[in-house]
This record gives sequence, structure tokens and C-alpha cells, in this order.
Amino acid sequence: MIVRKSWLWGGVALLLGLALGWSFSGPAVVFGQNPNSSGSIRNLQASLSPTPVSDTKLKVFAQGLSIIEQNYPEPKTTKDLVYGAIRGAVGTLDPHSSFMTPDEFKELQIETKGKFSGIGIEITLKDHILTVVSPIEGTPAYQAGLKAGDQIVKINGKITKHITLMEAVKLIRGPKGSKVNLTINREGFEHPKVVVITRQIIPIHSVKARILGDGIGYIRITNFQDSTNHDLEAFLKKMKKRLVPFKGLILDLRNDPGGLLEQAVRVSDDFLKSGLIVYTEGRSRHQNMRFYARPDQEGKEPSIPMVVLINAGSASASEIVAGALKDQKRALIVGTKSFGKGSVQTIIPLDDGSALRLTTALYFTPSGVTINEKGIKPDLVVEEKRPQNESLQKLRDELLTRHMRREGLTDKPWNQPITPKELDKDAQLKKAVELLRNWPPPKNLAQYLAPQR
Amino acid sequence: MKHLNALKTSGSGFRTYRWLIVILVFLGLTAYFLLPVWAASSKYDSLRLYTEALFEITQKYVWPKSEKTLIYGSLRGMMNSLDPDSSFFTAKEYQNFLHGKKTPTAEAGLVLIVKNNLLTVASVIDDSPAAKAGLKPGDHILKINGHTVRNLTTQEATRRFQGAPNTKIKLQVYRNNAVKPLDLTVTLKPLGVQTVTTHYLDHDVAYVRISYFNTKTPLELAKAFEKIERRQPPVQGIVLDLRNNARGTMEEAVRSASLLLGDQQILIAKGRSPKSEESFRGKNRALIFKKLPPMVVLVDHGTARAAEIMAGALRDQARATLLGEKTLGLCGLTKVFPLEDGSALVMTVAQCYTPHGQKIQGKGLEPTVPGIKVKAKKSENKVTAKVVTPEQDPWVQQAVELISSGKPQTAINKKAS
Repeated sequence: MIVRKSWLWGGVALLLGLALGWSFSGPAVVFGQNPNSSGSIRNLQASLSPTPVSDTKLKVFAQGLSIIEQNYPEPKTTKDLVYGAIRGAVGTLDPHSSFMTPDEFKELQIETKGKFSGIGIEITLKDHILTVVSPIEGTPAYQAGLKAGDQIVKINGKITKHITLMEAVKLIRGPKGSKVNLTINREGFEHPKVVVITRQIIPIHSVKARILGDGIGYIRITNFQDSTNHDLEAFLKKMKKRLVPFKGLILDLRNDPGGLLEQAVRVSDDFLKSGLIVYTEGRSRHQNMRFYARPDQEGKEPSIPMVVLINAGSASASEIVAGALKDQKRALIVGTKSFGKGSVQTIIPLDDGSALRLTTALYFTPSGVTINEKGIKPDLVVEEKRPQNESLQKLRDELLTRHMRREGLTDKPWNQPITPKELDKDAQLKKAVELLRNWPPPKNLAQYLAPQR
Repeated sequence: MKHLNALKTSGSGFRTYRWLIVILVFLGLTAYFLLPVWAASSKYDSLRLYTEALFEITQKYVWPKSEKTLIYGSLRGMMNSLDPDSSFFTAKEYQNFLHGKKTPTAEAGLVLIVKNNLLTVASVIDDSPAAKAGLKPGDHILKINGHTVRNLTTQEATRRFQGAPNTKIKLQVYRNNAVKPLDLTVTLKPLGVQTVTTHYLDHDVAYVRISYFNTKTPLELAKAFEKIERRQPPVQGIVLDLRNNARGTMEEAVRSASLLLGDQQILIAKGRSPKSEESFRGKNRALIFKKLPPMVVLVDHGTARAAEIMAGALRDQARATLLGEKTLGLCGLTKVFPLEDGSALVMTVAQCYTPHGQKIQGKGLEPTVPGIKVKAKKSENKVTAKVVTPEQDPWVQQAVELISSGKPQTAINKKAS
């Protein structure tokens, strides 16, 4: 019962689905007790008593609660106080554990399903003016004729001056079938025009791609959500057709905060013939799992020369993929050290619609290395040039609206080759391309790769 | 039938009696448990939610946590959700509090509050170690000595900024619009003894700054006002600067305000029950000025507690005009409630209202005259901003203009009597 209620949570910020995790027919997964599980974990098991919260301690809490209810100058509902209390209890845990009110939990579910209801535009703040980056093809915004560069002056009559990107996203999003009024200013307009757009379900794509002229493919995973492996496999298929021969692949996991553990396993599986991908250890046996790659699956690319890009923004699910491909010597890992979040969170819905996000297990790469606080070290360190002078607020806005932001490289159609000018802007990508063009890599790096069979 | 009854009675008299008791006890228990549940089912639902959450944490969290840690964390979280003054004492902290363990001699000299789960600087005392380190009101403290700040109550956080003289504390601070968090180091020192300073400005206007309130402030203030009263040529107005001033007790506020208001009402404190309402006034013999010169009180987001009481009273009793920006709205009286395991709750039990009945707690006071907007210069983001003299301070200039133009409300007693 406990299992049914909880979802595995494998990301810094995104994506659900243990229900998925337990029933999916995907990679061969061995559930159950981990043969390697250490004595300490067994000991923890033993220490669990059937009534984990003793009455005496609970009495102290109840006493505190009634003191507040009787004496605080303003009446407080028990619910508000209990929410504060749960928040406080979770506050004693690690920073990845948290408490979500029913509203916050709902918002999370929207984000993790890989689709939301909206109008389908990417927006940004350009010189403090809310501006359309691009309407997504086939969405209501596209059909309504919105164009890149359009300024959104008002949303439902509300002036967008001083608005943050997150607020704007919230205002534009809404239930499917409802309408939003945008007041648009465009070069050539005499007056701003009001456009009424009906909201629809918009899919969020977590996989983007480009190619290089000489048979090298570039795939970027922005996060690990429900359909990531399908999108990835679709791109691999298209690339195989377009690039003959398909000489090499760059998998870009930079600034990918992670997501579903299950998806990390599936993505890794796409590039591995067999062997362990990742294993998890928690306090309860339910949390001890081992995930293996399945041989001979359709759509896999288990032998194409491969470089994986990581940086300090690659976390969780990204680190599982990078770790598996590194430990199995399947790909060269290039970039900078990854974030180092090696814990699995389980979302535990509570009775009233709120939920706990609890760290329930740690995961380990095939060689038994914990990722937690250590991160994945690249085989080849290449520093990136980071644009300076970006304010925290701006960076935060960008993070929060990841799927609304301009990705730069992947704004263009996937089959349009990356130009040398684009490569010059990205030292890490440039290095990856260089390595693949001169594959196999020099001896000092070849040691990180398994000999080809 | 009769026979049967008799048989039954004789044969199992004791058993019947026992059954009756069982049924009565059962009914009693049902009533005892179910009726209150029915009457306040939402309360019990919430409590069940709490035990459910606690159960999940104790069972599933990857590292085991003691019940005590979790319950204390809960109490802390619950108190934090009330207001920044409400807090929690562990048994040890409560003992220290009871036995009047001396607070350390040195401190950083700032007032902290927990706001939206962020540890926030409410005010920085003038010339204090915190001010010298470059801390500013509104700063969020992310890390103390490398440890991420999480689930601290205001009081616990405050204690982290007290210690032996010359103790160094490393902070990571987030400031709005800053590119990245600032790393600052505060060196704890005893605070200066002086809390009141006086300057004389153009147009015979006196500028009085109270940096914070302590037990000696009312006396210091009395001396400052006496000097102003005796000054020749006579002072034409007073600018009382209560900005960035969030420390002080109700008593200190009443005694200070009484210097200007005599026995007029200074504040009303209201608790949960109507009976708890209490009115506070000063004493007529405390009055310093024969005729109070026009007065402007400067307030800002860092004005709280004693300073808010004083500002509210001077405004409502028509002794002064408030100039600046909205105040913090932090003005309550706390009480300590011991719990049965030796820990204790510190909780706000009464909130301040101005003489005209305006609630201060949670709302703050709106200024009568908004302070002119000063464009934030780039230098303000610098860690060590230049010290501004009253003459260079735009709001002080605005106050002086207000006084010299004769616009501020003068000392008119609005009382109907």
C-alpha cells in the first residue's frame, strides 16, 4: 500500500512516477533486496518500531498546539498550524526533502507530466519588456498569428510592466478551453491590438537536437520527464536516416536538473548493450533496486562513438546517465564536474492533497560510487565561458521557466547543421566535436573507453 | 417467563451487572471520543495529517531521525508560521532563560526576522559590527559559517550573532538585485553605550537619531530633549529619526513617548480575549517641552517594535508627521509557555494598536508623507556604502523643508475633551 502511494522522485526539480517505476515494461529491472545491501541498512530496518511516534512526544506537540489555539491573539486554524509543523519537521531533514501544500503539489504534477495547458509561446523579458521569443508551431498562439518579437503589453488587461517571467507564465497559463486576452504591440502597429487565444494542452519537449555536417549528431536533454526516452529514440532514428554514415553522437546533459529515475534508466539503456546502470539503497527493502540494461532492443545505439557533456548544472538523473556511461566506459565524459545530487526523492501524497517529498534512497553508479555530494568527474575537463553580469533574479527566472526559454543552439530546426560560428561560442561542444571527428581519441583518453567488440 | 427471568437473574446476576458496566463504559467512551471528533472533525483531520506525515518521515526518510528532533522541528516550524517574535526553547535553552544566563557581551548589532522561511535582516544598528561588515536591512542570510540556514527561529538566529568579543562570523548574504551572494565577515563587539545622538541642522531644526532602544534610551532621550528645549535661538522643529530601528521593549517605548506626550495614551495591547485589552499611557511629569516644536518622524521598513509604538503614538496624538515608507509591522508582547517535557514556547500573546485603534502587528504604519524616491546608485550595492550625514540625507532634507514650510501638523490636541 505504501508503495502504491509513493512515486519515485529522481530529480532536483522535476518529474514523477513510481507507479510507473514499478510497472513499466521497459528496461530489465531487478527489484527487491539488494544483495550488496550493507549491514547498516539492515540494522536501520530493525530499529523501526510499529508505532514510530511515541505518545509522550506527541503529547508535547499536542500541548503546544492547544497553547497556540487558546492564547495566540488571532485565531489560527489547526490546519495552518499543522502545515507549519510539518514544514518544521521536514526542515530538520536534508535540503531535497520538502513539504508541498495541495496547490504546490498540483503545480508540480503539471510540470512533471511533460505537458501543461497554455497557449504555446516562449516568452522572455527583453529590456524589461515581456516579449515573445517564438510561438511553438501548431499551438493556439501560432494559429492566432503571434510572432517572434511581439511585445505583450497587457495580459487580461493587466499591464505587464515590472512583471516577472514566472508571474507572466502563471497569468498566461490556465485550464484547457479557457481564454486569455493578450494586448500585443508589434512594429508596424499603430495601436496595440488585443488577441484572444483559447488555451490548449501544450506538450513540453525535453529532447532537442541539431546535427553537424559531417555525420555527427547533437542531442540535448533538458530534463527527464515522462516521454524523454521516446523523444530521444525518435531523434536517433531520424538522425540515422539523415546522417549516413552516423559517425558520432554528442549527448548534452549540461544544466539538466534531472527528473525521473526511470527515465534516466531508459535513456542509459538506449546506449548500453547490457550491464548495471544504477542501483539504489534506502532504509527499507522497497527502496533497494538494481537497474540493468536490456540487450537487443530496437532503436538502441549501443556502439556509436559518443561524448557526453556535463557541467555543475547536471544533476540527479543526468548524473545517473553520465555515471552509467562512464563506468561502463561507453562514452567520453567532457565538461566540468556535475552537481552531485545522488539521492532519490519519493513523493508521498498525504490525505488532504498535500504531499511530502522525502529523500528515501541514495543511488550509486555501477562501480558502487555514490554521486551524493561528489558528482561525476569528467574524463576530460573543459571549462565553459559563462556570461557574467547576470543577476540572480534573471538566472532564477530562467530556471523556473526552463521550457519557456530560448535555448539558443536548439532554437533552430534539428536538421539544420551547426555552424562554425555557433561552435565558437561553446568551448565544450567544440571539444566534443573535435574528439568525434578524430575518433578514436588519443591514448590518454582512450583508456576511458571500453575496447570495441 | 417469570421463571426464566428468575433463573437468569439468579444464575448470572454478576455477569449481567458486568455487562451493564461494559455497555455503559462503551457508550461513555463512544460519546467521549466521537462527539468531540464530530464537533471538531477538521481539527482531528489536521492532527491525523500531522501524525501521518510524521509516520512517513520516521519510516521512509533515508537517514533515521529521532522523534525528539522531529517534534522539536515541528514546534519550531509551527511557531515560525505565527510571526517573527514567536519562537521555541529547547529544555536547555529554557533553563538558561529561566536562570537569567547572561547574554554574551558582544554581538553583531542587528535585528533579524524570519520572513517567508528566509532569515532576513530587519534592521542594522548604526555603527555596529554588522553595519561595519556591510549588512543592510532587507538582506537575506543564506549561510552562517558555511552552514545553510534552515528552520531557525528568529530567536535562535539572533543567538548565533552573539558571543565573545572579536568572534568572527562568516556569512553568505543575498541582496536583491545582486549578481551573486555576498560573502561578509562580522566581528562581534560590545555595542556602543549611546543610543541617542543630536545634530542641529539649518533653519534651527534639531535632528535626533535613536539607533535602537535599550533601558537607558528614555533617559538619554530626556537629556537630548532638555538640551533642545534650552537651546537659543529656539529650535523651530525636530526631526526624529526612527528608521532602521527595530529593537526595544514596550516599556522603553512608553517611557520615551511620554517625554513628548505626557499622560496621553501611547498604545493599546490586545490579546485573544476582549478582557485582555490594556491601555498604556505615560506620566505628565515626564513632559519636557512647554510647547512642542513641529516634529517630523522618519520611518522606514526597518522601523519596528518600540520605534513603531512611538511613531504611532506621536502620529495619532497629532504631535508629529510620519515621513518615509511603511514600517515593518512587528509589535507584539510575548510570553513563555513551558511544555511538559521541559521545552517551552515563546509566543506573541498581545498585539499593539495605536491610540486610534490601528493595528500595528502584521500591517505596519503608513507614512503621512511618502519619502521621495531615491534612485539606487550603483554604489549602494557596494559592500561598504559611504556614511551619509543628516545634511546629505534626502529624507532629512525633505523633513526640514516640511518643517520650514510650516506644513507638518503642529501640536494640536485632537482629543474631544
